[in-house]
Amino acid sequence: MKILKNNRPVVVGIFILLGIVILLLTLFTIGGQKETFVKSFTLNAIFNDVGGLSVGANIWFSGVKVGTVKKIGFHGNSQVQVTMNVEKDAEAHIRKDAKAKIGSDGLIGNKIIIIYGGSITLPQVEKNDFLKVEDAQSTDDMLATLQVNNKNLVAITSDFKSISHKINSGEGSLGALLNDPSFAIKLNKTVENLQTTATNLKTVSENSKSTMANFQEFSGKINRPGNSINDFASDTIVYNRIVGTVSQLQNAATSVSRFTANLKMVSEKLNRKNNAVGVLLNDSASATSIKMTIKNLETSSKKLDEDLEAIQHNFLLRGFFKKKEKNKEE
Amino acid sequence: MKTNTVKSKILDEQKYVISKKVDAFFTDIYNVYMFILRFFKEAFSPPFEFKEIINQCYLVGYKSLALISLTGFITGIVFTKQSRPSLSNFGATSWLPSLISIAIVKALAPLVTALIAAGKVGSNMGAELGSMKVTEQIDAMEVSATNPFKYLVVTRITAVTLMIPILVLYTGFVGMMGSYLNIHQTELTSFTAFFKSAFASITFLDIYASIFKAFCYGFTIGVAGCFQGYYAQNGTQGVGRAANSTVVLSMFLIFVEEMIIVQFVNAIR
Repeated sequence: MKILKNNRPVVVGIFILLGIVILLLTLFTIGGQKETFVKSFTLNAIFNDVGGLSVGANIWFSGVKVGTVKKIGFHGNSQVQVTMNVEKDAEAHIRKDAKAKIGSDGLIGNKIIIIYGGSITLPQVEKNDFLKVEDAQSTDDMLATLQVNNKNLVAITSDFKSISHKINSGEGSLGALLNDPSFAIKLNKTVENLQTTATNLKTVSENSKSTMANFQEFSGKINRPGNSINDFASDTIVYNRIVGTVSQLQNAATSVSRFTANLKMVSEKLNRKNNAVGVLLNDSASATSIKMTIKNLETSSKKLDEDLEAIQHNFLLRGFFKKKEKNKEE
Repeated sequence: MKTNTVKSKILDEQKYVISKKVDAFFTDIYNVYMFILRFFKEAFSPPFEFKEIINQCYLVGYKSLALISLTGFITGIVFTKQSRPSLSNFGATSWLPSLISIAIVKALAPLVTALIAAGKVGSNMGAELGSMKVTEQIDAMEVSATNPFKYLVVTRITAVTLMIPILVLYTGFVGMMGSYLNIHQTELTSFTAFFKSAFASITFLDIYASIFKAFCYGFTIGVAGCFQGYYAQNGTQGVGRAANSTVVLSMFLIFVEEMIIVQFVNAIR
């Protein structure tokens, strides 16, 4: 297209205007993203450490961008006061007890401020309010923890190293297991035995299963009314009688117990020598003397017998005995 | 005879403050300084050559648009393609729009535009004014009561200074479009997501700094081209030298200015 020399100002005008349009679009897009032209209010938070937060950093509330950092300045001794520009629309949702913390946009992303929490019972935040702050774990803290973990890992791996060395050289049961073929054979046999045991156990469990089934059937029968066991189990009169019998048995057992105690006492006394029966049972000297006495008595009775025989034949008493015999014969 | 030659050489050397070359360098600095002063003096004093300024704007701006756009588009695509492997190593290809926008807006758009303009516009100015000088057309204008400085120099420097920022905006836009095309093809990123991510990393200061840079580069190209052409000597050979030294000097000064302005912007960021 051939542009006439007279039309050049128009072309230049269009060219410049389009350039300015691109500039304005860019400025408005950035302004929109930085919320320069959005109604906002300011909130504050005092942090101990902002971890490299910069002015213009985003502010998130429940994962939604609601503003940007307006100003960062020192406060008090070594604290940092962060002034935030927050959208007016978000004001109704942020409560007085909401907290702020420093986070990051992704794992290695820019630092941001995260507003979270807040109870619905409390009123919403107002302009220039100070939010409570929670110190977030910084990357340095995480690295310090990781360092501890690393040290532990080194210790664990060195332990494993020594264990594997021992195993490899055949030390200990595990080493023997891996390196000694006889051990392996024994283990194999053990496993075989275990297998057999398991098979037996299986059979036992199957049997016990059938036993349990029988028990179940039996208990079912017991529960079923009309048979003697059920009557026995459920009849209250029989039960009361059994209770009475048991109580009587208990009394009898008590009496027997008492009787046994007495017997025990008597036997103890019999064992002692401080009583007549005890002496009779336990003292050998007395036994000998009694023996002698009995012997003497035997001898005496023999002699007395002879004497009495003699007396019967005595003339004084002969009549009496003849009379007695006569009476007997009659 | 020999003694006489040495004596004359000493006498010759005594004509210069330091040496011929060093004195010429400082003289050039003085001349440039006076040239710039004269430009400002003439630029703000009537009569104003608006018609010629617009004509020059057309030649410098509109006529360079195709070349600048193509260069910007290719720059956007190539820079995106080259940056992707580095970012994909970290699994961070989603940061490509941010990276490209920072690179294009902060550095590539002004620099590429200025370097292309130095080559196309600067050399053209140097050659044009140089040939006018050596063919004594400029002297003829002076004789005919036309202020050649105002008509030839002020209009050209003004046009370049005003047009380079506009061209920078076009380059940035086209470069971003080229980058979007490549990212959309590979990562299937939507237009909205791309531009949202791209503008998230750019601040007003970056835009203002780029436009300020573009003004400086435009002024530099204009001054270098006009100065070399306006003071061209030694016939047609001087014309070629003027065109060549305009490009070399402009490019060198552009990089020096880039470095200074970056320092300045970072200081106030």
